[in-house]
Amino acid sequence: MSARWEFRLLRLWHAALAGGFLVAYVTADEDTYAMHVFSGYWVVAAILLRLLLALAGSGGGPLALPKPRLTWIRPGRNPLFAWMAVLLLAGMAVAGVSGIAADFIPFVEDLHEGLAEASLWLVLAHAAVIAWIFQGRRVREMLKGSAAALLAVVLLAAPAAFAADAARDAVKAGYARQAGPGFAGFSSERGKALFESRNAASPDYASCTTCHTADPAAEGRHAKTGRAIKPVAVSANPKRFTDVAKVEERFERDCQTVLGRVCSATEKGDYIAYMESK
Amino acid sequence: MKRIILAAALCLAALPARADRVRPVTDPETLAACGECHMAFQPAFLPARSWTRMMGQLSGHFGDNAAMAADKAERIRQVLVAGAADTGGGKAGSKALRGVGQYDTPQRITELPRFAAKHQRIAEREWKRPEVTSKANCPACHKAAEAGLYDDD
Ligand code: HEC
Ligand code: HEC
Ligand code: HEC
Repeated sequence: MSARWEFRLLRLWHAALAGGFLVAYVTADEDTYAMHVFSGYWVVAAILLRLLLALAGSGGGPLALPKPRLTWIRPGRNPLFAWMAVLLLAGMAVAGVSGIAADFIPFVEDLHEGLAEASLWLVLAHAAVIAWIFQGRRVREMLKGSAAALLAVVLLAAPAAFAADAARDAVKAGYARQAGPGFAGFSSERGKALFESRNAASPDYASCTTCHTADPAAEGRHAKTGRAIKPVAVSANPKRFTDVAKVEERFERDCQTVLGRVCSATEKGDYIAYMESK
Repeated sequence: MKRIILAAALCLAALPARADRVRPVTDPETLAACGECHMAFQPAFLPARSWTRMMGQLSGHFGDNAAMAADKAERIRQVLVAGAADTGGGKAGSKALRGVGQYDTPQRITELPRFAAKHQRIAEREWKRPEVTSKANCPACHKAAEAGLYDDD
């Protein structure tokens, strides 16, 4: 066989193996079980075929299987290629064979699933390595391009933080206006006192801290449902108090629930001032 | 290169498709409004009549106050009704309705006969664990509950 034909054969084989593996992976669901079994056998057969092809090919030709070595004899291929091939073939072979075995020995199924997952990552890593080496410049340029995009995102995100502050200031200004003529500024101390106050209106929730926890910078937890609540302190969560409709809706509910009454505009502003100071 | 990306995308896209799935909430307004105090439950777990009743009494919502603007509540009601167990809920919907009378309006998913049947093996102690707190805290046990996957354990 000429080297050119060996290469063609190798390509064909590679497509068959990759295709079989992909189909097997995608059809692992119960309703596509028949296809999964078929493609699984296909993969195992492809790997056996590869070993036979290595015998048929010319020594040192494209179909030969290089022995994985620890040292790099230059000039020559990087030994990592051989290791990569061994790892991929072994992973897929054991995944395939364990899949066949799982029909008879149930506990092999976990091994089969684990190996199949691992093989997928190996395949993706393999594709990435090959892409990097053979189309290196293009890939590197793509990454450089995405680094520039990342920078742009960071540059755009910085004004977004300012926008959040501006939105929160607008919310507070709204409460200041509602507070009316006697208004003399918000106080984070009063906000703290409100946040930590203990109340008797609700048997389940004695205080704002019952769900938001005593430390505003920490993640809270809804006392009844167990749902995690993001930190309320602005330093820990810059998006806090920026959406008027949400802020109003929550003050409406949470004050009614915990205090048994609505909060005044001044109390709401105090609360936000306290959370800004934390 | 394109082919490689395509293959990788295919592999990833296949991951969630591998399991039986309850159609998750995708409407952003519903996700935000109903996902604050607990996860946004999939509409397929209750019939349309139950959702309509629940959305009409939000200020007394299981002992909590979940009141919201009337127009917002109506929009969310429509989303829930469209995906309900007896409308757009698909296979998961019909399963959820097993043992539910035609005129019953169950309000709790956790009191459906199907829920009880699927969870009867779970000990009282397990429900009381601090990370669980409530039967309604599905994501404490079903890590991918919000994506609609419940047969993961
Ligand atoms: C039953 C649990 C619970 C209690 C008690 C509670 N909250 Fe909340 N609070 C929540 C949840 C849940 C959210 C919404 C989730 C989120 O914003 O991360 C929230 C959000 C808020 C928000 C909206 C913040 C924003 O970013 O828009 C405000 C304001 C608020 N709470 C004020 C209070 C005040 C004031 C008290 C005490 C009087 C209180 N809460 C007590 C559960 C609670
Ligand atoms: C203010 C907080 C809050 C909001 C907002 C909220 N809920 Fe609830 N919800 C609760 C609480 C508290 C429970 C009771 C949980 C428990 O008993 O463990 C509950 C329970 C439920 C249950 C029953 C769970 C079970 O036990 O099976 C459903 C269904 C439900 N809510 C749907 C919704 C929908 C739909 C929305 C959006 C319109 C919503 N909730 C918004 C607080 C809230
Ligand atoms: C304490 C942990 C726990 C909580 C909380 C919990 N589940 Fe489960 N659930 C389980 C376990 C364990 C199973 C598996 C039971 C089995 O296979 O016999 C299960 C099974 C299920 C199933 C059947 C899955 C299948 O197809 O086999 C559904 C659907 C389900 N849960 C829905 C829910 C919903 C919805 C909630 C929240 C309202 C919830 N669960 C809360 C532990 C929990």
